[in-house]
Amino acid sequence: MENRVETAIQIRGVTKTFGTKVAVNKLDLDVPQGSLYGFIGPNGAGKTTTIRMIMSIIFPDSGRLSVLGKASAVESKDRIGYLPEERGLYRKMKVGAFLIYMGRLKGIDNAGLDKKVRDWLERMKLGDCYKKKCEELSKGMQQKIQFISAVLHEPDLIILDEPFSGLDPVNRRLLRELIMEQHNAQRTLIFSTHAMFEAEQLCDNLFMISKGVKVLDLPLSEVWKKYDPKAILIEPLAGAVASDRASWAALPGVREAKVENGHVELKLVEGQDPSQIMAEIAARIPLRRMEIRKPSLEDIFIELVGGSAAALQAETEGMREYATAGKEATGV
Amino acid sequence: MFKTLTVAIREFLATVVTKGFLLGILLPPILMGLAITLMPILMNQASPKIEGTVAIIDRTGGTLESGLKIAFDPEKLAAKRAEKNKKKIEQATEVMPMQTSQSKQAMELSANAGGPGPSLTLEFLSPTADAEAEKKRMTESDGHGDSKVANPRLALAVIPETSTTPNASGKFTGYDLFVAPKLDPEIQGDIRDQIAQAVIDQRIQEAGLDPNRIHDLVERPKGETKVVTAEGEKKANEAAAFLLPVGFMMLLWISVFTGGQYLLTSTVEEKSSRVMEVLLSAVSPMQLMVGKIVGQMAVSFVILSLYMGAGVIGLIYANQGHLLELVKFVYVGIYFLIAFFLIASMMAAIGSAVNDMREAQALLGPVMIALIIPMMLWLPLSRNPNSMFAQICSFVPPISPFVMVIRIAGSEKIPFWQIPASIAVGLLAVWFAAWAAAKIFRVGVLMYGKPPNFPTLIRWIRMA
Repeated sequence: MENRVETAIQIRGVTKTFGTKVAVNKLDLDVPQGSLYGFIGPNGAGKTTTIRMIMSIIFPDSGRLSVLGKASAVESKDRIGYLPEERGLYRKMKVGAFLIYMGRLKGIDNAGLDKKVRDWLERMKLGDCYKKKCEELSKGMQQKIQFISAVLHEPDLIILDEPFSGLDPVNRRLLRELIMEQHNAQRTLIFSTHAMFEAEQLCDNLFMISKGVKVLDLPLSEVWKKYDPKAILIEPLAGAVASDRASWAALPGVREAKVENGHVELKLVEGQDPSQIMAEIAARIPLRRMEIRKPSLEDIFIELVGGSAAALQAETEGMREYATAGKEATGV
Repeated sequence: MFKTLTVAIREFLATVVTKGFLLGILLPPILMGLAITLMPILMNQASPKIEGTVAIIDRTGGTLESGLKIAFDPEKLAAKRAEKNKKKIEQATEVMPMQTSQSKQAMELSANAGGPGPSLTLEFLSPTADAEAEKKRMTESDGHGDSKVANPRLALAVIPETSTTPNASGKFTGYDLFVAPKLDPEIQGDIRDQIAQAVIDQRIQEAGLDPNRIHDLVERPKGETKVVTAEGEKKANEAAAFLLPVGFMMLLWISVFTGGQYLLTSTVEEKSSRVMEVLLSAVSPMQLMVGKIVGQMAVSFVILSLYMGAGVIGLIYANQGHLLELVKFVYVGIYFLIAFFLIASMMAAIGSAVNDMREAQALLGPVMIALIIPMMLWLPLSRNPNSMFAQICSFVPPISPFVMVIRIAGSEKIPFWQIPASIAVGLLAVWFAAWAAAKIFRVGVLMYGKPPNFPTLIRWIRMA
């Protein structure tokens, strides 16, 4: 591949405002070649704005940005695959014709383009959709078509904005496999998501943004190291139900205790060795289970972004799922 | 460039290869053409010749016999018919000059329809014959020629004495004409006309005058309008000369506006179906906009050439080809491009700014008002293409291309300098509109939510 550079995307001090609202504020980011980067953050945090600036769909007010070694994505558009958050298809256009059209716009040679499209449709188990109109497809199928249009031209950089939204578990898994396949082919991938566990499962790097400001940008392994397990989850045997929260919290080295559904969660003081406390607890009461709890990305997210944003996030997430479920139920 | 072209080709095909376009735009001229070609063939399928007798009960004492015989002479009958049709053609030509060829053909054909005309023979019955009894014989024929008897009776005229000799109060009376059922009204008319002619001639004769002389005296004098031009006299076809500029303007308007409308719809569709950002991942907003405009320009051009071609063929058929000048077509082409790019820029800007067609209507209002102006003003403009008003309108985009087309296509010469001047003004306006549209388009395509109003659009132009 031409023009290989170490850093696929380099963002330096980029700021973008819409009217009075600062969407992205003095952002720095380096996405290394071949990495799988997860963008997470609450709604309105600036994920899509950042992605659109990377794509040169909108332009920053200030700061520098380089994509695949070029000053703007416009110059390397054909080497980038993009699945936008706001995505759709030409309703009246046939699936095959749409993909061929997108392929042409992406600079694929006419020769072999049709076969390429048919192969991809076959892989996505949409082989019989070539001649169907886009509007005849379900939402999940449409999303798969859009994914094809993003990767059809074998781009070096693939940007997926909320690729999992609206997919059922089977298709989520298929998409995860496809993302991993692209990753294994040494392509650089960025995807934004609300679903933390998708990011947890897939990413090797994590980028978290809140209110336009970067709050986290680390390889996932570093994230786990930095946000070290500092909690112990205890499930006492029935009958030996733990006493009140205060007595748990009074244990040495415990910062905070939470009793919930017969479980106890102890958050430890910084630098505290969990094994010590665990031995102590095991000596005190009979246990069904005791484990060091690895914090979920969600925990980290909430810690970094703050309760209010997280609450808002959870709420919108819930509404989104409700809306999606409703749409699926009514067959829209 | 290649991407812009790809967008343009898709835009063109997506618009043209639809049922709506094929039925709504292509079908009418094709059907009209078919009708013109097929009508003669269909009408040449002559209906069977009608043969029959016209029975006369002449109660005037046989005075009408010789007159009627002359009137119903087959040659005279045919001549009369031909003359009647010629008059109809002339009348039609005056009213609808654009369709002279068709109407002429149609008239000639209808004159020939039914073959060489009916063959009527007169049968003079006894002046004292019983009308009631004679009427019954008419049921032998159905008036269509496919009668059971060889020479059926088609009509029976009972002419009273008072039709040629005044009655007690000094008045002439009419006569009774009984006809067979379903007898062609045209033939009925012929019979009535010929009997009336014979009766009138007889009256004139009885008054001691010469019928032929009277006919000559009452012949209506014809006046032929001729236009005096520098090249000499031309036979005038006022209506055609008058309608031609309007025709040009309407064609321009329809083609430009249809293309503009398609552009608006397709842009709004791309936005509302959210395919826009997918496209923008492959092309820049500018490439997309230019591609779309070029694609729709091709659509507009197809419409314009199709309808204009039909109009030109019509005029040539109608022997009005002298009204067409090549240079006028060149001007129409130039003004088409100016008008199209002006309207298309506006439509692209509006389409990119709104979320759906309903919102587009709100912004479309002022554009529509501007576009309606030439439609409302065509009459004063084409009547008086060199009025101060017309001259001013020629320099006010976006109506200037339409106004100029009306003025140029008319027969009155306009100051030549105004043509390049108005083209220059038009191009300037196109440049400005495209510049503003590009700015609005770039911001608008990714804006969802509250639809913008005009101040917002202006802010976008200044912001981007």
